[in-house]
Amino acid sequence: MFLGEGAGAFNHRSWNAPMSTTVSSPQTQLSALPPGGSASKESIAHARRRRFRPYLVLAPALILTIGIFIPFIAAICLSFTDYSLNSSDVSFIGFDNYLSMLQSSDFWHSLWITIEYAFLCTAVEMLLGVGVALLLNDENIVARFLRIVLIFPLMIAPVIGTLIWKLITNPSVGILVGPMRMIGLGDFKWAASPDSAMFSLVVVDAWVYTPFVIILVLAGLRSLPKSPYEAALIDGGSPWFVFKNLTLPMLAPVLLITLVFRLMLSLQEFSIIFALTEGGPGDATMSLSLQAYNRAFPFYGLAEAIPMMLFLWALVYFVSFILIGFWRRAQQRAAGVA
Amino acid sequence: MASIQLSGLTKFYGKRRGVEEVSLEVGDQEFLTVFGPAGAGKTTTLNLIAGIVTPDRGSIRIGDKIVDALEPADRNVAMVFESYALYPQFTVYQNMAFPLRSPKHRLPAAEVDQRVRHFATMLKIDHLLDRQIQALSNGQRQRTALGRALVRRPDVFLMDEPLSHLDAKLRHSMRAELKEMRGQLGTTTIYVTHDYLEAMSLGDRVAVINQGRILQVGTPGEVYFRPATVEVAQLFGDPEINLIEAKIRNRQSTSVRVEALGEDWSFSITPEIGSALDKLPGDNVQLGFRPADVTVGVNGNSSLHGVVYSFEPLGTKSVLTIDSVAGQRVRALVDGHKTFQVDRRIEFTVPSVSLIFFDPESTRYLVRSTRTEGDD
Amino acid sequence: MIQSRSPLAKIGKGLQILLLLAYAVFALFPLLWMFIMSIKPDSQMLTTTFIFTPTLENYATVLHSDYMQFFFNNLIVSVAAVLVSLVVGVPAAYALARFQFKGKEDIAFTILSFRFAPEILVILPLYLIYQRLGLYDTYFGLIWVYQLITLPLLIWILRGFFEDISPDIEAAAQLDGYTWWQVFLRVLLPLVKPGLVAAGLLCFIFAWNSFTFPLLLSNNVQTSTVIALRYLASDTVHYGQVAAAAAISALPEVILALLIQKHLVRGLSFGAVKG
Repeated sequence: MFLGEGAGAFNHRSWNAPMSTTVSSPQTQLSALPPGGSASKESIAHARRRRFRPYLVLAPALILTIGIFIPFIAAICLSFTDYSLNSSDVSFIGFDNYLSMLQSSDFWHSLWITIEYAFLCTAVEMLLGVGVALLLNDENIVARFLRIVLIFPLMIAPVIGTLIWKLITNPSVGILVGPMRMIGLGDFKWAASPDSAMFSLVVVDAWVYTPFVIILVLAGLRSLPKSPYEAALIDGGSPWFVFKNLTLPMLAPVLLITLVFRLMLSLQEFSIIFALTEGGPGDATMSLSLQAYNRAFPFYGLAEAIPMMLFLWALVYFVSFILIGFWRRAQQRAAGVA
Repeated sequence: MASIQLSGLTKFYGKRRGVEEVSLEVGDQEFLTVFGPAGAGKTTTLNLIAGIVTPDRGSIRIGDKIVDALEPADRNVAMVFESYALYPQFTVYQNMAFPLRSPKHRLPAAEVDQRVRHFATMLKIDHLLDRQIQALSNGQRQRTALGRALVRRPDVFLMDEPLSHLDAKLRHSMRAELKEMRGQLGTTTIYVTHDYLEAMSLGDRVAVINQGRILQVGTPGEVYFRPATVEVAQLFGDPEINLIEAKIRNRQSTSVRVEALGEDWSFSITPEIGSALDKLPGDNVQLGFRPADVTVGVNGNSSLHGVVYSFEPLGTKSVLTIDSVAGQRVRALVDGHKTFQVDRRIEFTVPSVSLIFFDPESTRYLVRSTRTEGDD
Repeated sequence: MIQSRSPLAKIGKGLQILLLLAYAVFALFPLLWMFIMSIKPDSQMLTTTFIFTPTLENYATVLHSDYMQFFFNNLIVSVAAVLVSLVVGVPAAYALARFQFKGKEDIAFTILSFRFAPEILVILPLYLIYQRLGLYDTYFGLIWVYQLITLPLLIWILRGFFEDISPDIEAAAQLDGYTWWQVFLRVLLPLVKPGLVAAGLLCFIFAWNSFTFPLLLSNNVQTSTVIALRYLASDTVHYGQVAAAAAISALPEVILALLIQKHLVRGLSFGAVKG
């Protein structure tokens, strides 16, 4: 009624029935199954259909991704030509664009500005952000209020934020003119002077992006497990000891991923610099993005601009690749601590 | 009406073996338990039958239909997941009604309602029907998951460790309820568990699986009293079965003298055991006996000797670990009223009827005395 | 964590609140200042700071100017970009979360890497391509390029939400008699709905804020974000109107930001940090 021939000896209702003493092999030997002993054509097709399903579901995104990919391919191709926006004949010139880029002092200046900008912004935002996040990880009315409104500077367009700061530091209507005069900096020129342009950019960038660091670090702080702290409390560790040996290692993954995001985006920041200084005064804040923009648009040197951007892309990748490696290790280590 | 036939099912996850060459037949209305340790391939087997996972090789028949090319929805199989897999956005009622509102199994609203209430009453969750899943206890979730499988009246029930997340008491009572329900429903069921008691108490038959391979299929009595291999013997029973090496010194028609545990040991044998021993190529044989079969403190010429190594009282029973003369440890399950001092010298006996003989080379089952399961 | 009531701890507490207040002033004063300027009449712009006769005149002027056209342009382009990303990205996020297949992580990282390519690098060749294809200065052109911003974000956030759903639930629904597609619509989508809303809104905010793409790939079809900056650069500066324009442009985001607070951490970190 229900068993194959080979298994017939083990009629399952015979729980109390006398059994033969020696069971040569109690392992049920099933007779070869008559139909479908091996996968049928149908089932192979079925399996193939299933294997294909992920790609089918991904297809729209993949097509769009390829669409997005085109500019990158085109950029690489264009970098080997002398294409410009005001002439129609194009010829292949090999690595000439790259060579002239490497020989240009403008490029090296802009690279330095780019790194300086990214370093200063990231350093200020990380220090300020971690500090504020530690202060905010507490229940008091100021902290609760700040946690809610904190996101406003981050959510409004960086360009709008820059615009507001332009108004604030404006010599005729700016609110900061009076106070600056009071502390003896009446002629502080903010973005208008080459000496303070970078400083002004960092202030604006920090205003826009510090909340980003705060929000992520705060989330990291709040997800820390409680038990190691209780243990440390029993062991009587000082607050600094606890921070250095517990909080920091457990927070390391969040800190690193925040650092990656901030570095990647500040290395290629365009809109804040464009809105505040346009790379000036002179070329005091001419980062690679601004340099490429200026080459390509007002001066039609598209082919000269692209190698710089490819270089920047490579730089962003290199930095993030290394940091993400650290991040993965920190995650594993943090898992060990927790 | 559905029997199930698995033939040569093989599934690898990359290099990791899920199951290999699993062949199995389950009779119509049979309740088969699949028993094995964690990672043995139990869940993979169920997922293959349900169609959640597709096999690399092999074929599955449910009733008289080969279902290899069918989607899970078309196999008319219901499954209770270890994680329960309830729809968190629905109430208990909506969870249970969900299958009956599907395009495949759609029923008129009145009948859906009637069935859901019927099974909710049967499972004693009729007062919870409007609750959200988050508001349920583990046991209630388990019942809801069971209810969702039952309302369908499928050809086959697949149950993946449905009781494993319940606390011990609840697990016991649910086991009894399941057993009762089983009789009422009469649907072919494959029930996966890592608890050997559950496997034996619920199953008409038990399939023992480890490392992706089926080791033995048989009635609970068979797998317990006549394990196919040493491995199967070790998987059933707690404390674990005692396994000792014995060297046959002298065999007569009704008795044998062996050297085991560092001592000379004589015991009587049946003719079947005798002839099985004769077929062995050498003098060595592996003996297995359950801790419950060890009797402590009996004098006689068949006694073995040892020193109490540890003593763990467990209430009605106590586990005694004995250092034998050879140093190998022997576990015994003794009456809870007795106490034993550690390091005390004791004698113990193992009745010859409870000895299981294994081939020491292949570790396969050889023979065991006839008078067994009736007594236990 | 450590509760003590020594005078030193009280001073520490006070200092903590003081520092937080200092940061709050830094973070919020510019926004407040923008608002003050936007309700200050031009005549009092140069002569007063906080005491003036408030007016809505600046808003009225901006609302009646062609700025509102740019505002709606921004709305159209951003909403459409998010919708395209949703249609394409939701199944992709699901596939990347659930299926095991060859090249999965590579695909996921390629999608993410677009977000971190310099914008100017994308714009330079696209500028040429768009002019050839007639996409320059069109809605469609902007919607396409906005996918660079919205798609990676959406896919990565939603992938995390899909990963949070047990595969068993999906299998259960299939066994309950639903096809894969029905399971997706009836069981999975409702479960990821909070994530879907949050990711969609965050994508909208970033699309809305986009500056470089519309600045360089469009001209007449322009967004309010770009135009607000142009206002300031124009010769006759009405600071009050600039502030009002900025305020109008910032308003939708301030509202949306409050709605998605709960999922913000996950969104901002592309799912790397689960808040």
